[in-house]
Amino acid sequence: MSRWWLLVLLWAGLQAHAGVPADPFGSPMWEYNLERYLGADVQVRHDARIDLQVPAFAEDSAQVPLTLDLANFPHRPQRIIAWVDLNPVPHLFTYEPGVTPLRLIALNFRVQQATTVRAAVQDDEGIWHVASAHVDAAGGGCTAPSLTAANPDWERSFGTIRGRAFSRGDHLRYKTSVMHPMDSGMVDNIPAFFIEQVELRDGGEDELLLRLMLSESAAENPMFVFELPHPLAAPRLWMRDNHGNVFERRLEGETG
Amino acid sequence: MMRHFLSRLMAPILVGLACATAQAGTDYALEAMEIEPGVWVVEGSTENFSRENGGNIVNTAFLETGAGVVVIDTGPSRRYGEALKRLIEGTTHEPITHVLLTHHHPDHVFGNQAFDPDTLYMLDTAKELLRRDGEAFADNMYRLVGDWMRGTEIIMPEKTLHPGEWEVGNRRLHLLEFTGHTGSDLVVFDEESKVLFAADLVFHDRALTTPQSPGLTTWIEDLELLEALPFRWLVPGHGAPSMGNMALQQTRDYLAWLDEALTRAASEGWSMTEVTAMDIPSRFDALEGSRYELTRTVTHLYPAYEKAALMLLE
Ligand SMILES: [Zn+2]
Repeated sequence: MSRWWLLVLLWAGLQAHAGVPADPFGSPMWEYNLERYLGADVQVRHDARIDLQVPAFAEDSAQVPLTLDLANFPHRPQRIIAWVDLNPVPHLFTYEPGVTPLRLIALNFRVQQATTVRAAVQDDEGIWHVASAHVDAAGGGCTAPSLTAANPDWERSFGTIRGRAFSRGDHLRYKTSVMHPMDSGMVDNIPAFFIEQVELRDGGEDELLLRLMLSESAAENPMFVFELPHPLAAPRLWMRDNHGNVFERRLEGETG
Repeated sequence: MMRHFLSRLMAPILVGLACATAQAGTDYALEAMEIEPGVWVVEGSTENFSRENGGNIVNTAFLETGAGVVVIDTGPSRRYGEALKRLIEGTTHEPITHVLLTHHHPDHVFGNQAFDPDTLYMLDTAKELLRRDGEAFADNMYRLVGDWMRGTEIIMPEKTLHPGEWEVGNRRLHLLEFTGHTGSDLVVFDEESKVLFAADLVFHDRALTTPQSPGLTTWIEDLELLEALPFRWLVPGHGAPSMGNMALQQTRDYLAWLDEALTRAASEGWSMTEVTAMDIPSRFDALEGSRYELTRTVTHLYPAYEKAALMLLE
């Protein structure tokens, strides 16, 4: 058999794998997590137009920043699912759209070890566009243990919410932080206690602008960044944790 | 893909072997440079901690006083401390009477074991910080430099150092306490030689390590006080000793830029990864490790800038 035929067979073999391309990072969890979060029979492709930003290494493994920038992504996202391949619970968030498309989202996550991070964005034809990045385990030598984790005073600031809107051309960027331990339930018998749902609603018509479902990979005292087209009126932020606490605030209009 | 996966699994084993062979018979090969009569500096590299450099990225120093040797900092490991002690004993005939520890970072105090515990001096607050963070630092150092750390244990200094003027032999040393780098930072100024041992308040051609700074503006204020001292030589914690205040100015310039850049980014609503990727002005090209340290700085310090730029929502 000629070499050309071997290549054709190899190519066919790869294609037989339900539309899943190979992982450029070679993670052992690639196909497993794809199927776990996106389903078995899906179309998946790598898409460089999705800008998934994480640092090269995790200076603080409890607070690793992530920004997902869709400014160059030509489709309207129908759903976004992000996960951290080698975390005990890899899922980080699932985004569901409201009446306006999301252009950017940022939040911090936790890592347990060096790992790949994925953001899968579903377009209006149901195809999943995936961006991947790698975070090295830990940074430099002068890193102290997390002080907030050891801080017994957190209850006093529990539920404190800060926020502001920043002008970004024809978009507004909302940045909000909430003081919440976001306990993953996997450390020292501390039960899981974290914000599992976040919504942003238009202040006028009360229409949903976005919904976010969070999991245990999300970091303590989360800072959420969302970038959307200008809403009609200052939106309302609504959050609920798995103990039934509800937090609700009106976000200020454009101030920056 | 498989090859990539395997090579990642293999890497730690190969590194381990390489270390074992490279380090058999290898030492820190420390050298003392006499910058003024009776004043020696042992200069480290400006790299990050690694298995190649064994953590020798720091400057230590020693002074003859006529009544014994005063040592400033002990280095990153027991093995370094022992090498430093041998170097001092081969350089001067005076006994080591005082070892001053400038701050609690591992590269400055993990060589303590080599010295008589009776001679170890440290500021009170710095001792508290060492008690609090020492174990975590040790874990980190073992991970970063590996075998060089063998046998290293944290030794708490017995003696407490008090800021002020101190007559020792034929020298008068000014012991000053600042906070900008870690919350308790000792600076030593020798009147006789006019050498300023600035420790980690000043770096030279090396990006600053900021994770434990109480605030960049606090650090800048410290430098303004330091600049008023009549020094001729400045020995930074990291980077080459130099005449005059150029290292101090470089450090202050970098701090002022960082503070301004983080303030501006927060006021414009930048996310953390956006700040980590921001442009670093070309005048800081000479500073080794600037992107690496910026990632660390942003992780630890940017949240406070962000918080200040947001409004409390009620
Ligand atoms: Zn230091």
